[in-house]
Amino acid sequence: MASHTDNGEYVEGMYVPFTSPTEVVNDLVNNHVKVSDMWLRGVVAASILLVLGIIGFVMNVMEGVSDRAVWAYYALMFSFILTTASAAPMVAIATRMANAHWRRPISRVAELWSAAGLFSLLLFIPMLWILPPLNDGRRSLWFYDVNDAFFSRVPIYSPHIWMSAAILALVALGVILLWLSAMPDLALMREHSTGWRQKWAARLSKGWVGSSKQWNMLYHRMGVVGAFYFMMLVFVHFLVSTDFLMALVPGWIDSLYPLTHAANSLQAGVATVILTMFFLRKFGGYEDYITLDQFWALSKLLFALSLLWFWFWFSSFNVFWYGKKPSEQAVLGYLMTGAYQPAFMAGFVLSFLTPMWFMMWNRVRKSFWGPAVMSVSVLVGTFFDKLRYYVPAWSVNDIGIVQKLGEPGAAHEMALDNLPKVNMPGVADVFIVLGVFGGAVLFYLLASRLIPPINIWEQKELVLYKFHKAYHRTEVMVLGKPR
Amino acid sequence: MQDHVQLSQTKINDDLLAGVLGMPKWWLPSVVVLVLIIFTGLGAYGYELNKGLGVSGLNRPVFWGFYITNFVFWIGISHAGIMISAILRLTQAEWRRPVTRAAEVMTIFALMAALSNIMFHVGRPWRLFWVYPYDFSRGIFMNIRSPFVWDPSAVMTYLIGSSLFVYVALIPDIAIVRDKATGKFAPKIYGVLCLGWRGTPRQWRLQAIAGILLSALVLPVFVSVHSIVSWDFAVAIGVEGWHSTIFAPYFIIGAIHSGVSAVAMIMALAIWLWKLENYLRPDHFDAIGRLLIVVAVTWFFFFFVEWIFALYTLEGPELALREFQVFQAPNMWLFLGFLLTAFFIPVPMWMFKRVRRSPMLMFFSTILVNVGMWLERFLIIIPGLARRQPLSFDWGTYNPSIVEILIVLETFAFVALGMLLFAKFFPIIPIFDMKEGMEVREEIKIGRRIVPASIRETP
Amino acid sequence: MAKRSVLGLFTEDQVDEAGDAMEALASAGYTTNEYEVLTGTPYPEGTFGEAEPKHKLFRWPLTGAACGFIVGLLLTAGSQLAFPLVTGGKPILSIPPMAIIMYEGTMLGAITFTIVGIILESRLPRMFMGAYDKRISDGYIGVTVTTEEDRIPKAEEVLKQAGAGDITHGWESN
Repeated sequence: MASHTDNGEYVEGMYVPFTSPTEVVNDLVNNHVKVSDMWLRGVVAASILLVLGIIGFVMNVMEGVSDRAVWAYYALMFSFILTTASAAPMVAIATRMANAHWRRPISRVAELWSAAGLFSLLLFIPMLWILPPLNDGRRSLWFYDVNDAFFSRVPIYSPHIWMSAAILALVALGVILLWLSAMPDLALMREHSTGWRQKWAARLSKGWVGSSKQWNMLYHRMGVVGAFYFMMLVFVHFLVSTDFLMALVPGWIDSLYPLTHAANSLQAGVATVILTMFFLRKFGGYEDYITLDQFWALSKLLFALSLLWFWFWFSSFNVFWYGKKPSEQAVLGYLMTGAYQPAFMAGFVLSFLTPMWFMMWNRVRKSFWGPAVMSVSVLVGTFFDKLRYYVPAWSVNDIGIVQKLGEPGAAHEMALDNLPKVNMPGVADVFIVLGVFGGAVLFYLLASRLIPPINIWEQKELVLYKFHKAYHRTEVMVLGKPR
Repeated sequence: MQDHVQLSQTKINDDLLAGVLGMPKWWLPSVVVLVLIIFTGLGAYGYELNKGLGVSGLNRPVFWGFYITNFVFWIGISHAGIMISAILRLTQAEWRRPVTRAAEVMTIFALMAALSNIMFHVGRPWRLFWVYPYDFSRGIFMNIRSPFVWDPSAVMTYLIGSSLFVYVALIPDIAIVRDKATGKFAPKIYGVLCLGWRGTPRQWRLQAIAGILLSALVLPVFVSVHSIVSWDFAVAIGVEGWHSTIFAPYFIIGAIHSGVSAVAMIMALAIWLWKLENYLRPDHFDAIGRLLIVVAVTWFFFFFVEWIFALYTLEGPELALREFQVFQAPNMWLFLGFLLTAFFIPVPMWMFKRVRRSPMLMFFSTILVNVGMWLERFLIIIPGLARRQPLSFDWGTYNPSIVEILIVLETFAFVALGMLLFAKFFPIIPIFDMKEGMEVREEIKIGRRIVPASIRETP
Repeated sequence: MAKRSVLGLFTEDQVDEAGDAMEALASAGYTTNEYEVLTGTPYPEGTFGEAEPKHKLFRWPLTGAACGFIVGLLLTAGSQLAFPLVTGGKPILSIPPMAIIMYEGTMLGAITFTIVGIILESRLPRMFMGAYDKRISDGYIGVTVTTEEDRIPKAEEVLKQAGAGDITHGWESN
């Protein structure tokens, strides 16, 4: 990758392959408008998986919505998409806030996952029917207590209302962020493309002409929307992990778990972006833009988040283990050391041990395959980790719940007495897992047809702020910090 | 950094060594006052040692009072060093340059103050060495299953690691003092301390690697220390309000909040006492202010989640505790004061750029934060112990005695004295780091705008 | 033969002249082990044409971590097995507390060994400073040559021709 020196010579460097904005535009626009074979194959494969998923969904519907255990794997995949695709835009948001120049080629790669957020919204709708209201005897975050005069007035569909509002807000913010960040590039498409792309780009770019006022407003809005997206993401994780998970297991009171859920999603989000970068570089023709620098920087982040995975897990585990409260020991036994131990071990090894051991070596971090393989490990580990939480939690079908009637707050004093037997996946469950994965990828691929995966305007901006120059007997890179 | 003062190496040496090679007028009187406070505190401790712990306010069921609150507080302050130094080094933030050493040195003295609180707190301090792993004369090893053994292992690791980190990063500056010092012994002593540093490219390269590598190594220790201190409380099931898994990150983010606030205080003091306006610019205060907003909001979210889950179970004893904490005097006033000083006054202030860029306003707002965070630790420890049993006959109160108050004041004086003594013998702002910052500073002209830039080595 | 050293001092603005001096010394047959540049502030690597310093620092944290891990394991397992008292209903060999203390031991080992490694790899402590000038701390640049006594005059000549201002002599041990 090249950049120019003071006297305009062509020098090998990083980030920007061309010396002028015009060359950047021509290269990226031409790459974007052509439809590659790999893209078509990806769409076909994802569509097949999605069809399988729909079949699995219909099979589940035929069994009804009253038995939560049937929908355990569906809930798992809803959470998995939330954990991976909805957290991916955070890579763009956080790095833009930190003003890190290496983010420029990959910020749109991350933001495009907001399109898969629309898919997660579709997945959420059946959850509203499956998730029981508060008055069926389970715990709740909303202080509901059927025996208490005051706390029995809490609306019994509170979790549904709050969760719907939160996830709608999250998806909306993600799409708005994507649209804002894409607006200058949509204006570019308006000028440089034809047909349906030109028509849609013209509609969506809303009179963008690139005045200073528009640029200033764009930065300001992206900052605000980004900050709100982060807050909403944490809030959604809080609600999903409490109402859709913890509240279903009697005796499971883990104040750290909502934040564990959020932190694990940041790790999975980074892994998602790394893997997407890898595919775009290998099959999308973006080798000049997605370089070693992006992989190196994100792999450091993935390493740190993998260490944090352990810390969050151990913080919860140690408090439960040491305290030896029977209700907590039962929860540990159910979710970790009992029948779901293989899933826990898979999550532990793939989300923590493997990334820690391999990514502490700089040679692995500073490569293309290293971070990509570690990302696969993290994503598979995340899947198994979510499996060992969601499947057992959704399999607790009001079995053996100890309930002391007549005392205020009694509905919350529950302990897990009889452990439900392990919920092995059936054909429908496998189809759902594959289908959700396929659906998310399909939404991403379709969105990438309209909106270029590489952020063209940020690349052009980099040409202003970065150049190489001779420094006595060596050569250095000069990086400007405009804000 | 958008506002920057370019200075020559000689000027930097003169400015930053003024306090080392000379003595400001205020230095000696301040040291005398601090020493007096320390002696008073140690005298109070001597009295406690002689008469027993009964002279403090500790009693059934509140066995932990001011000393443990102060211990956790100082552990919290100590987290500033690594937060500022390590994380900003790893992210290559240019604004870290003037503040890293002061933060790291504060860490060391804060850790010492924290450990001293344990000594003040235990009834038989002559048995404190029992945590060490030998059994020659006692016939028994320490119980490694106890959090009270995890604590010293973590705090000592952090103290040793931070001290060595400070020393290694100090070597080039000791060499500068060696070159500039006059007198018969000073150059020789500094010469020995700097181990013969000359400034070869190899030595500078290893300094750069040391900064990054040690930051990466100390950062996990930083996370573990306060997690382990928080587990002193969280693993216990007997005390209401303590058995919560969120304590580890909650304490850490609280530590970052109070520690970074303490660093901002020190920055303001450095400007006023050592006249370092050219080095600690409004941009630095602005950057630390913005960091504090993020940290404070995150901390408040953790506080909120901890409360939500405390109330989630609607259990009688837990509700009794929370009611005691929030609605009964004197805790009620302390709770209100804590919320206002730790969050609701400083954070809205920091939203304004004018406040963030003013050393005076940052100084006072960060003092408020530390008052609030001290109260926060108090409110976690004492009310929980006072309402420890479900049966109310064993409920108690806590009234700190003058002995405890004097000893707590002594710890503050100790840390202040430590920093003043350090600043007398070594430069409190890293000289070579500032010089490097001047050297790598560039400017890019884009049309009519000059954009600050920095030089990066090409890998 | 006894080793001596000579230092040529260049001002802050004479960065290129200092680099020229390094090149001239190389051309005059001095090895890279014999000459080096001394600065009071770190310059970007290669500013004076010097080669990238090779080091093996990364052995140290790994060795230290391994040592610390083993010490932690012996300490925790050994002390629990030596006096097998059940406390709090926990097993004799309780893994979570062992993990905490072993982790701290590992990190302490890694950090202390890293510090030793940094000091030693920096070729410190250095008993004899050799030729040195205090003005290096003020921004001056020194190019120093450490070699046998009979090769010093030639080195001095090269430095003067390259534009060095002051020449200082120093001595190393035999």
